[in-house]
Amino acid sequence: MANSYQVVVCGGIVPDPLQTLEPVAGPAGPALKNEMMLPAVLDPWAGHALYEAAALARKFPGSKVYLVSLAPKAKLQQVMMTIAQRVPLELVALDGPGGGFTDSAETAAALAGAIQGIAGLDRSKLLLFGGWESASRGAGSTMQMVAERLGIVDQFQGVDELQIGEDGSLRILERVEGGQHQVSVCDAPPALLGWATGNLGEPANNAQVGMQNMRTIMPSLQKAKPTQLKSGIAFASVALPKLQRETRIVKDASVDEIAKEIADWAAAE
Amino acid sequence: METILFLAHTEADGGLAKATLEALEAARALGGVLIAGLVGASVEAAANSIAGCGASKILGVAGEAFGESRYSTDAAAAEAIAQAANATVIVAAHTSRWARALPGVAQRLGAAVDTHVAALSADLKATRWYYRQRIEGVIERAARPRVILLDSGCAPAYAGAPGAAAVELVNVEITPALQRTRVIGKQAPKAEQQTIRPDAAILFVAGAGWTKKQKDGQTHVADAGKLILDFIGSANSSLGSSKSLVDLSGEGQAVLPFLSHLNQVGQTGSTPRHPKGLATCCHGEEPHVVGWRFIKERRAVNLDANCGWARGKADVLYVADAFAVIAKVNELLKAKS
Amino acid sequence: MEERPSMEVDIVCVGFGPAMGGFLTTLTPALAEFPEAPQVICYERADGVGFGVSGVVTRARGIRQSFPDLDVSQIPMAATVKQEKVLYLLDPVGASRRSKPVKALDAALRTAGHSDRFAVELPYTPEFLHKTNGLILSIGQFNQWVSEQLMMTGMVQVWPGMPVAEPLIEDDAVTGVRLADQGGMPGMDIRAKLTVVGDGPVGPVGRKIDEVLGTPPGFERNEWAVGSKMVIELPDGVDLEPGFVLHTMGYPEPEIFGFFYVHPDRLASAGIFVPSWFDNPVRTSYRYLQHFIQHPYMEQFVKGGRLRSWGAKSLMESGRRGEPFLCGHGYARIGEGSGSTNVLTGSGVDEAWTTGIQLAEGVIELLREKAPFTRDNLDRAYVTRRRSSWIETEGRAAEHARNGFQKGFIRGLVGMGLAGVTKGNIVVHAEVKPTHERVGTIEDYFSDRIPREEIAKIREQAKADGTPLHDLLMDRSGWPPIEYDGQLLVTHQDALLMGGKVQASGGFEDHVRFLRQELCEDCVTQICVEVCSGEAIAPNKDGGNVPVFDKEKCVHCGACMWNCAHAVDASGRTNIEFAAGGGGLHSAEN
Repeated sequence: MANSYQVVVCGGIVPDPLQTLEPVAGPAGPALKNEMMLPAVLDPWAGHALYEAAALARKFPGSKVYLVSLAPKAKLQQVMMTIAQRVPLELVALDGPGGGFTDSAETAAALAGAIQGIAGLDRSKLLLFGGWESASRGAGSTMQMVAERLGIVDQFQGVDELQIGEDGSLRILERVEGGQHQVSVCDAPPALLGWATGNLGEPANNAQVGMQNMRTIMPSLQKAKPTQLKSGIAFASVALPKLQRETRIVKDASVDEIAKEIADWAAAE
Repeated sequence: METILFLAHTEADGGLAKATLEALEAARALGGVLIAGLVGASVEAAANSIAGCGASKILGVAGEAFGESRYSTDAAAAEAIAQAANATVIVAAHTSRWARALPGVAQRLGAAVDTHVAALSADLKATRWYYRQRIEGVIERAARPRVILLDSGCAPAYAGAPGAAAVELVNVEITPALQRTRVIGKQAPKAEQQTIRPDAAILFVAGAGWTKKQKDGQTHVADAGKLILDFIGSANSSLGSSKSLVDLSGEGQAVLPFLSHLNQVGQTGSTPRHPKGLATCCHGEEPHVVGWRFIKERRAVNLDANCGWARGKADVLYVADAFAVIAKVNELLKAKS
Repeated sequence: MEERPSMEVDIVCVGFGPAMGGFLTTLTPALAEFPEAPQVICYERADGVGFGVSGVVTRARGIRQSFPDLDVSQIPMAATVKQEKVLYLLDPVGASRRSKPVKALDAALRTAGHSDRFAVELPYTPEFLHKTNGLILSIGQFNQWVSEQLMMTGMVQVWPGMPVAEPLIEDDAVTGVRLADQGGMPGMDIRAKLTVVGDGPVGPVGRKIDEVLGTPPGFERNEWAVGSKMVIELPDGVDLEPGFVLHTMGYPEPEIFGFFYVHPDRLASAGIFVPSWFDNPVRTSYRYLQHFIQHPYMEQFVKGGRLRSWGAKSLMESGRRGEPFLCGHGYARIGEGSGSTNVLTGSGVDEAWTTGIQLAEGVIELLREKAPFTRDNLDRAYVTRRRSSWIETEGRAAEHARNGFQKGFIRGLVGMGLAGVTKGNIVVHAEVKPTHERVGTIEDYFSDRIPREEIAKIREQAKADGTPLHDLLMDRSGWPPIEYDGQLLVTHQDALLMGGKVQASGGFEDHVRFLRQELCEDCVTQICVEVCSGEAIAPNKDGGNVPVFDKEKCVHCGACMWNCAHAVDASGRTNIEFAAGGGGLHSAEN
């Protein structure tokens, strides 16, 4: 197989999932309390997309992985310190708002612009990857709009598997209703794949990969284009849901007692 | 006054899904002029099923190619209907098919798009979740057209009597560019794999504790697997898991063979809807519990009385050995049936 | 396991704390002058460069030297010190264990009517305690800020989430480091011309070097403390100026010193130090911290506030006495693990940062000379700089300043005062004993308050529940139970889940190991369980007496290591091995 690919992964950053989140009213609409102080991680589904991209690039020598990311530069730099140890990549950084309360259409416009600016991009090798949703906005709409802007009409969402056929066709498994996968075959790139979890674990840290990546990542961060997003969204309210339940803790009951209670509860209509 | 386009695709049997009928009911509640738009291999049956919905007209794009869930053809069909309807607001169900296609269609129409809308008010305020069900926002937009994708459970399903409907067909040319992707079919999970069953009354969530060393210093993964599958069978339950359990395979530990990332509930997993949920051997930490947002009654079995479930996340926490408890529960459930 | 990979760099650094911040900040700008810039790489154990550290009030001499035009507002949570007070806290609940002299002091102060809210403000703050013009910092936020400045230069790489298992030692030279194995993959060997060790006093690399290459005569690391601290959102109506600092002593126990300082944006840090010479075998810092913030004087500031995050760390209070060999072939030591902490002024960050500057200046000198990183060259270029600086003179003056505390609180205070005023020329002499030689049994310690039979029952109950003893014993000996409000006063386990929570990172082995199981089987004191800052070490309720360790709860404070009741060899090494491990607190402010 002589194919090689240019895999462009779009991935934002989100607060470390262990942080306590609280909305506040900011000058430009809602924001997270202490947003700039919260530690950040790569958006988890975009992370799966990135790991899949890296695995594909390993399999097809000559392939290249780009990570296009829109986030405040300082936060992006922090996140790169973990990501760049795992996957060989070239970063295309945009310095702008990375929170969830922005409009996906605006984010898509910025990302598409950045992708169009990548020198030497070849549509016949282009695979556009991303998470099928973000863990911030959770809309699952950005990638489709990026692809539309790039003229890509072979699009897949909730992808768990990509296999490249002998003829270079793309066999793709997408999550659909009822716990099933839809199987589709696309003739060739370009295509958009919005990834769900895929089948790969998180790659272990690799000092050598990190070393290599940093030669390009830091210059890319240094010249990250300042990006502003307009928003057509007006927020009538933003609030934490009422979470707390009154938990009854059953501590000293026998196994039989507990089992009976659970069985009765489970069987009740 | 708004012109509301209710956009729907047919199912394999030519009918409309429950979530689609819910979106129709939500669209009807908005007032304004209602137009229905249907996409499918054939749309007559679906049109007839909603003949009484009050739509001023029913537009359709029909043909073999539109019977399949494929971005290129779905987007072309939806775009053509939207253009024909000249709607200001487009309402559709958040099915996997529309979730994939309509954001791109919005891009083509120069429309704004709001997805995963959990509730929609008559004045078009949309309620949706941010940060994986951790923050709830209510949003408005002045922009038109505006595409709104509604999550299931947002409204009662439309239940009007069927009738005979006239469908105005809209022609969409199928160019080779729209056919670069072929849909092969559906693939069910492997026989030994258990997945989330959306229709089940109860969700059973297995946590990493099932594969950890027990009192005797040994792991009992085979026993754990049997207990879990027995429960799934006897309680007719859906099966979910915590991220840590499906991740364990990456650490070379013994794992439950019937679990995959498809079972994962939480931050990077799913947010299933079930009336009841039972968590076992799972810590109940925030990134996992955000996936429980739509589980109404929650109970947990855990050895640690200090686990996350105890902190207002479950209705009942049983501090006990899940191996013993679930074995007994299975016995009782079998006896009941 | 697969074959172990290896990689070569010029300088490998272990641990990204203030010392490494000072080192890299000084080194980096100079690297550009070399035609082939040396490759510099730094590994940090925690999952983020700002995780699992602390907060501090510091004179910041070294930091200001590095950033002369420092704009404090650029660093989240940083403020300039505006007002300092030292307070002696009386015991408002009657449970504090106070010696006769302390009781006499309390009575005298009460009679004189000096106390307001059970506290007496010292009429003046001794000069040596002043932090005038200093900085209040969240080290987490400061570290992030420093790493940002560093990484943006593109000249150095700082990698968090990468624990270093041990140094590579060949003959008497350090030739690099070995990264920890992860997920069945062998950790990489990073070979380097220079290894900079800044992994703190409980870091495995520094300790291994001491073990293999030895320590100087007089070297002693018997004095420690657990520092435990909360970041609190101040309640409405409490308007304290950022830069307000309190130092306290006397409560909850005379041995426990406290602090409180105010950050911008209505945040404050409140914390305590639980020292190794506090002889209570159930020395829980979390419970004592809760009593501290409920003292009537502290309560006026924090009651109604909200706990935002919490954390703990070990402090090596032997200071200059715990100084190892500062360099050798191929390596140099900086920061707290190099014995730089000043135990008289209670200052460590400023000193650590400055040792980093000094090493960097030395390294630049050697790079310019194209001289190899031998012991002699490093001694000349680094150690000489350090010896002729304030780090050495002030460290020497402080060296024995706290020894008096070995004989009690009052003598300790007198000793500190004398050492402070005479710049270390007069001190109270006392042998400094390690925990395993000092601390007696629970039964003896509580003999005046709880009958032995009752302690036996309490032991049984705790064992059955798998919980530590401290709460039961403190409740029984007069400490009021903590009334949880879910806001400021929360259970220890809840605190682990707030403001970033604790998590182990995947694939690493348990980093706390009980070496000789038979010693644990026979151990009745198990200070490790009582002191554990995250309740990660718990009694074994399923049989046997060897405690169980849950890495998911470990905050990597390292207190278990120096609180073990048993030594396993003459070097004082205890029965708990505290190895390299990932994870810990995911809080970047505490």
